[in-house]
Amino acid sequence: MQGQQPTVYVIDDDPSVRDGLDSLLRSVGYDTRAFASPRNFLASSRSEGPACIVLDVRMPDASGLDFQDELARMGYAIPIIFLTGHGDVPMSVRAMKAGAAEFLLKPFREQDLLDAIRQALEIDRIRLRKQAAEVDLHERFSTLTPREREVMALVARGLLNKQIAAEIGLSEITVKVHRGQAMRKMRADSVADLIRMADNLGLTNDKASDTAPGLR
Amino acid sequence: MRREFLKYLFEMPLLWLGIAVLAALIFIGDTITDLEIAFAVLYVSVILLAVYSGRTGAIAIVGIACAALTVISYFLTRHGASQAGLINSTLSLVAIGATTYLAIRIEMLDARARQAQSELARMSRLMIVGELGTSIAHEVSQPVTAIAANGNAALRWLSATPADHDEARRAIERIVADAGRAGDVIGRVRGLVARSSPSSDAIDLVEAINDVLELVRSEIRRNQILFRSELASDLPLMAGDRVQLQQVILNLVMNAIEALAEVDEETRELLVSAAADERKVTVSVRDTGSGVPAERLDTIFEAFYTTKPKGMGMGLAISRSIIEAHGGTIYAAPNFPRGAVFGFTLSLNERAKG
Repeated sequence: MQGQQPTVYVIDDDPSVRDGLDSLLRSVGYDTRAFASPRNFLASSRSEGPACIVLDVRMPDASGLDFQDELARMGYAIPIIFLTGHGDVPMSVRAMKAGAAEFLLKPFREQDLLDAIRQALEIDRIRLRKQAAEVDLHERFSTLTPREREVMALVARGLLNKQIAAEIGLSEITVKVHRGQAMRKMRADSVADLIRMADNLGLTNDKASDTAPGLR
Repeated sequence: MRREFLKYLFEMPLLWLGIAVLAALIFIGDTITDLEIAFAVLYVSVILLAVYSGRTGAIAIVGIACAALTVISYFLTRHGASQAGLINSTLSLVAIGATTYLAIRIEMLDARARQAQSELARMSRLMIVGELGTSIAHEVSQPVTAIAANGNAALRWLSATPADHDEARRAIERIVADAGRAGDVIGRVRGLVARSSPSSDAIDLVEAINDVLELVRSEIRRNQILFRSELASDLPLMAGDRVQLQQVILNLVMNAIEALAEVDEETRELLVSAAADERKVTVSVRDTGSGVPAERLDTIFEAFYTTKPKGMGMGLAISRSIIEAHGGTIYAAPNFPRGAVFGFTLSLNERAKG
């Protein structure tokens, strides 16, 4: 997952700019895929590794900002570098607020684009790492029995073994066993570690569910 | 004060001569006729004539002078009933005063209207230029962006080990294509600015210059500029595009007015001249304004070069391309003792046939 080749998607309706950017990014060594429109991009399959989009804002079928909104609705949080031919301030502000990685005015310096891409890919790498860790955590949690989950949630809420035993009507010994099992299965190094995991899983809310929260 | 007066005189010598003669005639008539004849009321026509000068100050001075002449006449007149004469003279004075007041009001409103109009014209010109600028910038920035990307790519493909000649060649082919595209855009812009070949009218340059001066007369007045024109009466008809040449003249005169606005009112002088020798016609616009530093005279006709805080730097560049399309040359030089002179020469080979 980590060592995957990064991909740069170029979306520009102007064939000459598109081909130029495609050639430039390939010459730097990026795996590059160029599209004439956001629609073509959405219709294509996407790579697994870290990626970013270089997007021309003046697109005929959907403005770059609408496309950005659409990606956000789909929950596809890929960093976008905007290219624009006119420095429209309100538009760039909107794009930045919506999480654009960078906003470059054409014609831009090559180095600025390459720096922006490097940063965007780094952001995406961190995002993927977090995502992977989350998936991993959920997988581990799904191996717990209902009782173990219950005990884990109560531990996370700061109850002592004795209190947990009283709460769910088990002996203190049994609670200790469940607790040990939960620690082992979750691969927690310490109680603090277990509490942090429970936090990430949303078990510390008052209505601690006994099922794993669905994957986003 | 003396300079003010000179400015008025220079601007419309005939008008002031007319006013002076008419006032003198009325004065004589008023003095030799009997007291009870309200001859002085005729001064109203003098004041109305003064309205043509378009200067409120001048109208006021004429009004006061007429009133003074009326009073002097009253004392000089030998015959008639002094009682009736006094009443009639007073009535005349009231008429002169009222007319002067109304004339000044009219002129002020007129000036305001003219100012609003010229503001409007300037605004719309700026809007057009702004729109044009935006679309040109976009049109040109696409191929330029592509050229830059392809150029950098080609360099990398060539310096890679092993060098990828195929990729480099494809990138360079794209550069050539994009450069052609950028050239097309520029060609289209040039076509917009100065139609590929100027239309060929037979132009009376003096008439063309006078038309332009008519447009800027109110600007010249508003800026208190001492204006003179020296247009030779024996200029041959020139072949060329009348509207384009007028654009150039207008641009040079407007620049001069703007340069004059930056110096003291007392020293604002503008001279527009046109003269011919056996080989060429020269039109020049000479001002005593803020001038152009010597080291900038070479670059001042380049596009997007401007010395004005709000300038676009397009006017002189467009002027140059128009004059060169007419087979002429445009020039700029310092004026002595201060200010600048801008002008152009058209060779007499461009003379209209027939």
